[in-house]
Amino acid sequence: MKKTTLVIMSLILLLVLAACGQTGEKTNNGSNTTAASSETDAQADQSAADTAADASGEAAAPRIASISIHVTSHLLALGITPVGSVVGGGLQDFLPQTKEQLQSTKKLGTLAEPDMEAILALKPDVIYVDKGNSQDYIDDLMKIAPVEAFDLDEGTWRDTLRAIAKLVNKEQEAEQYISDYKAQEERVKALIDAEIGENSKVMAIRVTEKELRVFGMKRPMGPLLFEDLQLTPAAGVDQINKAYEAISQEVLPDYDADAIFVVVNSEEKAQQLFDQLEENPIWQGLKAVKNKHVYVVADQPWLDYSSLGAKMALDEAEAMFGK
Amino acid sequence: MQLHAMSRSKRAAVVAAVIALLIVGIMMISLNTGSFRLSPYAVARTLVGLGNADERLVLFEYRMPRMLVAMLAGLGLGVAGAILQGLSRNSLADPGVIGLNAGAAFGLIAFMSFFPSLEGLPSLFIPLFTFGGGLLAAGIVVLLAYERNKGVLPMQLLLIGIAVSAGFSALTLFFSLRLDEDTYAFAARWLAGTIWGRDWIHVAALVPWIAVLVPFTITRSKSLDAFAFGDEIAIGIGTSLHRNRLVLLGVAVALSCASVSMAGGIGFIGLIAPQLARRLVGPMHRHLLPVSGLVGMAVLAAADTIGRSLFQPIAIPAGVVVASISAPYFLYVLKKTKSI
Repeated sequence: MKKTTLVIMSLILLLVLAACGQTGEKTNNGSNTTAASSETDAQADQSAADTAADASGEAAAPRIASISIHVTSHLLALGITPVGSVVGGGLQDFLPQTKEQLQSTKKLGTLAEPDMEAILALKPDVIYVDKGNSQDYIDDLMKIAPVEAFDLDEGTWRDTLRAIAKLVNKEQEAEQYISDYKAQEERVKALIDAEIGENSKVMAIRVTEKELRVFGMKRPMGPLLFEDLQLTPAAGVDQINKAYEAISQEVLPDYDADAIFVVVNSEEKAQQLFDQLEENPIWQGLKAVKNKHVYVVADQPWLDYSSLGAKMALDEAEAMFGK
Repeated sequence: MQLHAMSRSKRAAVVAAVIALLIVGIMMISLNTGSFRLSPYAVARTLVGLGNADERLVLFEYRMPRMLVAMLAGLGLGVAGAILQGLSRNSLADPGVIGLNAGAAFGLIAFMSFFPSLEGLPSLFIPLFTFGGGLLAAGIVVLLAYERNKGVLPMQLLLIGIAVSAGFSALTLFFSLRLDEDTYAFAARWLAGTIWGRDWIHVAALVPWIAVLVPFTITRSKSLDAFAFGDEIAIGIGTSLHRNRLVLLGVAVALSCASVSMAGGIGFIGLIAPQLARRLVGPMHRHLLPVSGLVGMAVLAAADTIGRSLFQPIAIPAGVVVASISAPYFLYVLKKTKSI
């Protein structure tokens, strides 16, 4: 009898837990309702703005759901706030540089696993996706709203920005953004050359918990350093025709870099790892380290290869090298 | 004390009915859980075909297939665990112990490491590889535990299972260190037991296994009961021991491989469901097998629902929920009985 009671108790516990989950959801729904009502407010504002826009003959701004953090950054660069966006997979949140502007934007899961129900509940006019990473669910998204796919691996961020700008009628803004960036590119290039010398060979590395990585020629770091800033890649870096390659510390000297950019994640753990690396004799023997040409940068915005991320990375570089 | 007065069969029927009711309750809660707001009324309306397009999409495309995969996998794992515990005369056996989960995980990582070009169709290839991995591990274990004259030895089965499991886990870890972050994040979620299959195709792939193998197992209840007496007596009362043992082992492997390949790396269910069932309806497999399946179903469906709703919008993998509910219970049982 005792045993039976125990078993029944545990089954009841299970159900109660399930029910708790339910209440959890309800409270959540409460906040959803507020979010929803502020959304309706936003919609109301928007429709007011739309009528104004219609009056002046312009098309209404679409409500966009972005299933790529980089596309979200592009939209922000054009002054458009998506109604919903996925969050960074590791962060489980929006990128720090975009968080401020995305306060009223709904979180829609991650790139790998977007929250279909949240997207559906948002009822967007159009869904923007990253072509290379969305094959798994693009068909499901099409059932919700029309989908526009952008191939982020094709060309540079400028191409993506232009493609997006075309859809939202912001082509002029995009061209302005690109030409502003071009001017800044030259300023930063001059500052860096002044600091490390012209034609110095440069590499970028990243310290992660698992391994040491050298960034290659592909996004995020490659195009930024070697195309936009026209720095010279260190020996061997130009052979890495992908985003990055994992290396062992021993081969660091082989790259013979004059300057090293080190991407260190903001977490404490990554900091510790970098501290360890700094104490390593191999590291201390590097040419760039001896000449104090090591530049530590944060993972964000540097690894957000988008119009917004690249621009903010240049802002940081301008401040860093302008001192 | 009236419960004891009831015949075992009657009691088993009552228990089964209660759990079935519980499952219906869990299903209702599960269908009401998610980030798209659907009132219970809307759910009911949609179920009878009166919902609007959005409600139908949420219910029939997002929530229902996932719930059914969880339920079917729970059923499969519960029955597979009961078979293995019966076969090995050891109530600590479960599909994970004989290397199935480790093998399936290895299959997943092997797929992601060596065949990234096939990733366009993960909904088909991942189950194929995880199923193959589980089968491979189980095959190795059975082969090593097989002796010519004695057939598969239960004790060896468990020990070799643990060893093979450790070997596969090591390989999995080794290859997973080489994956890039996004791929690894997916693999980690799978390993932690997020219900992975979310489409009707996964339900359809799982149903035949369950529908054929579970009833088949129940028809073999007598052989499992006979095993409990030990090999000599089992042979004495006319059980064709070796053959039956191999067949049932094969069934357990197939059930758990199919379940794990559709639902993800979920452990503990195969251990806890038969334990609970034995306490509820006693050791006769005629009762134990179906009840164990039902308990597995209830536990996994509830775990997925809890995992999805507790910390919305971040979902906790169902496998983690199962483990965190099962572990304390299991420790309690261990402490209570000591000679388990």
